[in-house]
Amino acid sequence: MKLALYLTFPYPSPAVFDRFFDNMMTMPFDYVELGIPTDKPYYDGPVIRRTHRKALDGFSFSALNEAVRKAKQRGKRCFALVYYNHFSSNMAEFLDLLKESGMDGAIVPDILTDYFDERRKIAEAMKERDLSLIPFFTSSTPDKIISEMIQLTDDWIYHGLQPSTGIRVPVSIDLLVNRIKKLAGAREVIFGFGINSMEMVRELKKEGADGIAVGSSLVNYIENNDVDGFIKEIETLGGAVYD
Amino acid sequence: MYTEQNVDIIPEKWYNIVPDLPEPLPPARDHDPENSSIDLLNRILPKEVLRQEFTSSRYEKIPDEVLEEYSQIGRPTPLIRAKNLEKYLKFTGKIFLKYEGGTVTGSHKINTALPQAYYAANEGIQEVVTETGAGQWGTATALAATLNGLKSTVFMVKVSYDQKPLRKKIMNLYGADVYPSPSTLTRFGRHTLEKDPNHPGTLGIAISEAVQYALDHDIRYLLGSVENCVITHQSVIGQEAKKQLEILGEKADTLIGCVGGGSNFSGFTFPFMDTDAEMIATAATEVPKFSQGKYMYDMIDTAGILPELKMFSLGADFIPKSIYAGGLRYHGAAPALSLLIKHGRIKTDEIDEVKSLEAFRIFSKTQGIVPAPESSHAIATAIDYCKKPENQGKTVVINVSGHGLLDLSFVRD
Repeated sequence: MKLALYLTFPYPSPAVFDRFFDNMMTMPFDYVELGIPTDKPYYDGPVIRRTHRKALDGFSFSALNEAVRKAKQRGKRCFALVYYNHFSSNMAEFLDLLKESGMDGAIVPDILTDYFDERRKIAEAMKERDLSLIPFFTSSTPDKIISEMIQLTDDWIYHGLQPSTGIRVPVSIDLLVNRIKKLAGAREVIFGFGINSMEMVRELKKEGADGIAVGSSLVNYIENNDVDGFIKEIETLGGAVYD
Repeated sequence: MYTEQNVDIIPEKWYNIVPDLPEPLPPARDHDPENSSIDLLNRILPKEVLRQEFTSSRYEKIPDEVLEEYSQIGRPTPLIRAKNLEKYLKFTGKIFLKYEGGTVTGSHKINTALPQAYYAANEGIQEVVTETGAGQWGTATALAATLNGLKSTVFMVKVSYDQKPLRKKIMNLYGADVYPSPSTLTRFGRHTLEKDPNHPGTLGIAISEAVQYALDHDIRYLLGSVENCVITHQSVIGQEAKKQLEILGEKADTLIGCVGGGSNFSGFTFPFMDTDAEMIATAATEVPKFSQGKYMYDMIDTAGILPELKMFSLGADFIPKSIYAGGLRYHGAAPALSLLIKHGRIKTDEIDEVKSLEAFRIFSKTQGIVPAPESSHAIATAIDYCKKPENQGKTVVINVSGHGLLDLSFVRD
């Protein structure tokens, strides 16, 4: 299984972010997802929503480029998590900047729900720049749309377990994983949005998930300025994922 | 009506349309950015209900206990060829009625009240609460609670509470405590009464009160319409109708039903989505959600406690004229139904009170069934439809969502 770690960039401030990010880079994991702050992170839960508001002021592409450079140096693949709502008015320019930053691609969680008719246009614009569009699915994504998005893209797939991040309603992990694996074939499927227990990680692994993505559960440590706790949490996750 | 053989018509699974929609169902969204109202659902809904709300599964197995209860309350409901109405309209096609008024509580509402109460009881819950507009949902909740050994409380929109004393009596008979809303029992109710002591109440306010009451007393709230799991449960209507038509060797060309929150219509039509049947959803002209509402994120309840949903809506603060069809007064319509209307898969119609009363009289006189005022709107659409030359020869199925025997005080002699 693979481990993807999410941080909103640069939460809570560029200096504090760097300290946590540099420490994170010494740990074993696979993908880093950097949230591009926006004032309307609709599909994030309260915890991540808070980080967006706080990170807005400190955001700059030059600082982002530096973070991506460090991650690539460590051999991590790097993806932006960005709402289309945030860059729909200047897509070409924004995607050029994203490409220049060294990002491998982006997860764009609001395409299918709010900009459904633009899905092909966005996928093409990213492909032109050799940026991977990571399709984002949830239990509400219809089968036909999943199959179509899989055709339009060629990197891994992000599947949300929950209606938004960091909250938890009851889900049947077995049914969910089985459905997406059946539709996704050999494509790598990574699960996120609301993974907050080791028990959940173990169940995902048992059902054949290719990886997990974690974000909300890391925010606590940053809020409390607890680097040791942060590192330990990543270690524990890595333990469950790689054992 | 309820032979062993008939019972086989009740499906073994509910159908969830979400994986078959033409585009993703827009997710529930928090109204208040500081809090998660989706998380709050954990505190007010039975766990299994919440799981079904967000499931990716196309089918959900109906628990044996619920199947047994379905057969006890009158499922399968009859599918009746309305020959007298056909004759009256000189219609050359066939008209069928799926008669949900044939359940013991007199409407389709019991179809989802039973599983929700069953899941609550299964999870060790002692008490449930809900709201009711016209009274059908409150009646269904009261009976479902009793059958599952639960205590129940119902907030009834004040204007209905005053005008429909018999509804309250039935709910009391089934064991429910019934309060007019706005009430002094909740913060939101008190707040509303302070501003206007004679407030007639709305469904949105009653929902807010019921949800707040559930939170204050740590009990569970039952969902009457709009939410996806409710529509999944209501799919028994359409699945039965499909099977009944099949047994008769018939195929539906047109399906017609009325829309308040959208549960009877969606439950009736969604199982036919794999056919090319034409579908028409009828709303009340006085609550013109389809012609004048916007497809947008809006609140389900007036207080904004529950998450927002993307739907056709007139705005959560919309106060409808007190038309006699209380069940159609809701400001929005279920998200999956709204999406299919936006896509043009489902057509819409709006019928005013005068026209629906005319249909009510025609239907009562020809078929002998006194339809619910809500269902009369669908019947009016069907009458218009069957009068058109281009529709002659078609097979039309109307979902008569309930009977109107307790609504007769509204009919002038």
